[in-house]
Amino acid sequence: MNNPKNKWLAGPYIIWMIGFTVIPLALIVYYGLTDKSGAFTLANVLAIVNAEHAKALFLSLGLSLVSTVICLILAYPLAMILRKKGVGAGSFVVFIFILPMWMNFLLRTLAWQTLLEKNGVINGILAFFHLPGIAIINTPWAIILGMVYNFLPFMILPIYNILMKIDDNIINGAKDLGADNVQTFLHIWLPLSLPGIVSGITMVFVPALTTFVISNLLGGSKILLIGNVIEQEFTKGSNWNLGSGLSLVLMAFILISMALIAKYDSNGEGGVI
Amino acid sequence: MKTKGFKKFIEDFYMVIILLFLYAPIFTMMVLSFNNSKSRTRWGGFTTHWYRQMFDNSAITDALYNTLVIAFLSALLATIIGTVAAMGINQMKKLPKAVVMGVNNIPMLNSEVVTGISLMLVFIAFGITLGFKTILLAHITFNIPYVILNVMPKLKQTDRYAYEAAQDLGATPVKAFFRIVFPDILPGILSGFLMAFTMSLDDFIITHFTRGAGINTLSTLIYSEVRRGIQPSMYALSTVIFVTVLALLLITNFEPENQAGISASKVQETMRKRRRNNNIRKGFLVFSAFTIVASVSFTAYQKYSTTHSDELFVYNWGEYIDDAVIEMFEEETGIHVTYDMFETNEEMYPVIEAGAVRYDVVCPSDYMIQKMVENGLLAEINFENIPNLANIDPLFMEHSRSFDPENRYSVPYTWGTVGILYNTRLVEELGLEPPARWSDLWNPAYEGEILMQDSVRDAFMVALKSLGYSMNTENPDELAQARDLLIAQKPLVQAYVIDQVRDKMIGGEAAIGVIYSGEMLYIQDEVANLGLDYSLEYVIPQEGTNLWFDSWVIPINARNKENAEKWIDFLCRPDIAKMNFDYITYSTPNSAAKAMLDEEIQNNKAVFPDMDKLVNGEVFRYLGDKVDGIYNDMWKEVKSN
Repeated sequence: MNNPKNKWLAGPYIIWMIGFTVIPLALIVYYGLTDKSGAFTLANVLAIVNAEHAKALFLSLGLSLVSTVICLILAYPLAMILRKKGVGAGSFVVFIFILPMWMNFLLRTLAWQTLLEKNGVINGILAFFHLPGIAIINTPWAIILGMVYNFLPFMILPIYNILMKIDDNIINGAKDLGADNVQTFLHIWLPLSLPGIVSGITMVFVPALTTFVISNLLGGSKILLIGNVIEQEFTKGSNWNLGSGLSLVLMAFILISMALIAKYDSNGEGGVI
Repeated sequence: MKTKGFKKFIEDFYMVIILLFLYAPIFTMMVLSFNNSKSRTRWGGFTTHWYRQMFDNSAITDALYNTLVIAFLSALLATIIGTVAAMGINQMKKLPKAVVMGVNNIPMLNSEVVTGISLMLVFIAFGITLGFKTILLAHITFNIPYVILNVMPKLKQTDRYAYEAAQDLGATPVKAFFRIVFPDILPGILSGFLMAFTMSLDDFIITHFTRGAGINTLSTLIYSEVRRGIQPSMYALSTVIFVTVLALLLITNFEPENQAGISASKVQETMRKRRRNNNIRKGFLVFSAFTIVASVSFTAYQKYSTTHSDELFVYNWGEYIDDAVIEMFEEETGIHVTYDMFETNEEMYPVIEAGAVRYDVVCPSDYMIQKMVENGLLAEINFENIPNLANIDPLFMEHSRSFDPENRYSVPYTWGTVGILYNTRLVEELGLEPPARWSDLWNPAYEGEILMQDSVRDAFMVALKSLGYSMNTENPDELAQARDLLIAQKPLVQAYVIDQVRDKMIGGEAAIGVIYSGEMLYIQDEVANLGLDYSLEYVIPQEGTNLWFDSWVIPINARNKENAEKWIDFLCRPDIAKMNFDYITYSTPNSAAKAMLDEEIQNNKAVFPDMDKLVNGEVFRYLGDKVDGIYNDMWKEVKSN
């Protein structure tokens, strides 16, 4: 594999990337840095400091951060349990966790609406047992629930995969040397699974930060996220320049957060596999 | 031992809870697929009707076919390109590698709207007609990164000395690759393929912007149905897909193969033993996959390369025509119709403006027609080709002048008003009089019971009318007052919705909502069918309302203008207009068709209000990009508050 000629194998893809990734990106940069008449301006990018844009951005950051943390808290123990179950059962179970993604995303999210509504399924069940109903639909909590629901598999998979690579002997070794459960977790599990955690965080945080469908369907459109602002500039406001400018800002935020967490994943081992 | 059992119980319990969370919406869909009512919130009895309808509906079967073909082809091609590229990238020096990997990550980091629109722009710039091809190209583009991310770590783990040793022992590089490297990275390739397939299956936004005329995937079809309520046959379809996949999964699970391609060091030895067997089966899998691709691409090619001598490309609102009407038109004229749907005027506009798809006939609303006329996007209609125009009540041609001053570009299709829909029982329970004015929407007693329209102009119309101003005002002070009023109303509002008002009101979710008059017949029928203990009434508020018109227009770059005129003429025929009315229930401007309706419907004031009694009824006008911008900014302030 160390035949230097091999690197040219990347050639076709590089051409592909130039055509369908770099040029489209260049177009976005062009739109983002010009106004409707085509003259250069920074206004579209600086528009992020407008009260309503900044508010939407911070709300998005907050909600996606909370969702990411919840996903991590839910996924890690689950991945540990799956690891214990052994490979044969494990891969089946993993499939069970991706399977929901094969149902259409819009339908699944709409189904949550049916579940959460005031006269919805969950409240119906609660009322049957004479329990007080829940009223989280059209609040930020419903959006967090939607994000956790939709992106949880993206957290489970990488963590599970990295845990599967940890040798049982290391764990047993630590125990033999007198480490208790907490110590084993902090000094063995956590450092060894860090790349998986990092990749899980990325795969949950980024789509959560840019989503607009979830906030529309479960937030009753009362909550404006940065994804909604961008989407509306493109599809409703027909101000593509502003939409592009704001997406450049959003990309910058994503890149910064990626750079921060990439420090822990320098080997790129935290791939989804 | 007891504690161990307890621990296991806790673990299993935890897993079941998570699974319950993940599957709750899917069970909901399954239940809804047997619901006799179209409503998402009301149970109308058990039926298998939607399953039959699903198989009869060619739109659904076509969309399913497209979705699967695109998912399969894009995942396969992405896997090939991605795997080859990953091997190349793996050999690169540090810096170029970092650059390539950075660019590789862009499609995953970018907001999907941005990726979708920028790809659409590039396709248009390259002169690639939007269609099946472009969806496929777009899907391959966003799938490759997932493949690379799956293959790269595996490549790093491969033992390069084994590869070199194989060559030293006389294997050709290709043979050494397939014998040594390939088996090692295969799990990565398979999971990359699986992930790519899943992503493609689930994508909506990028497909939405890169698709062309007449092509729908399940996502875009569902999205176009969101406007007037999801057809339960979609739930039926999801149930069928789910059960099929689950069955396949259960069958394959009994084989020792590691499905998701996960490998672990502790099983590597056993894996090695199985590898030989696996390789034979994988070889077979690859072969059968190849056969499927070949046959699928061939049929797809045949399907999309058939051209019709006489064609018509129609662009209309979702669920805004009786499918039988299209069939009759095709039969009578021999013209092949390609029919597409949009959800909002604003979403339709750039498609026509960019000429991404050359539609022959489009059905926008009043103010958008004005915008299109002003920007020179419309062709004058040759009214000599439309003798059935005589059936249209002249009153509506008169009203059309507010957006098409000389009646040269448009022929009315439907019309209506916007008003308040209220739940008689809930309003009574709150101890209130039935609403009669827009300002009732600011009554604090309705807290959490109000559904507002989620579109700028409609929302501002309500506020401006309640203040007694014109809904076409350009006066910044009046607009600022309306904005403040909307902000003040926000805590009372349950949700801002578009077409879900209908389902939510039928389900008794809210006491009052702002709604389009065209939904009334459907709502009243449904309330009667479900035997609800409340009724839903429609009122046009005293302050006046939005009078709206949807009309047919012909874009300037239409290629089949005469066919478009035949289409418009056909829709103006009384029997056809009546058929359409029965299906879509939006008021028809066709007086000959109206005369054919039941007396009761003709006199239904919600559907056919007396025009002379519509005091302060106004039609939206296009106010120019600048004023539009002010409206949008103020709406954002309302929403972010």
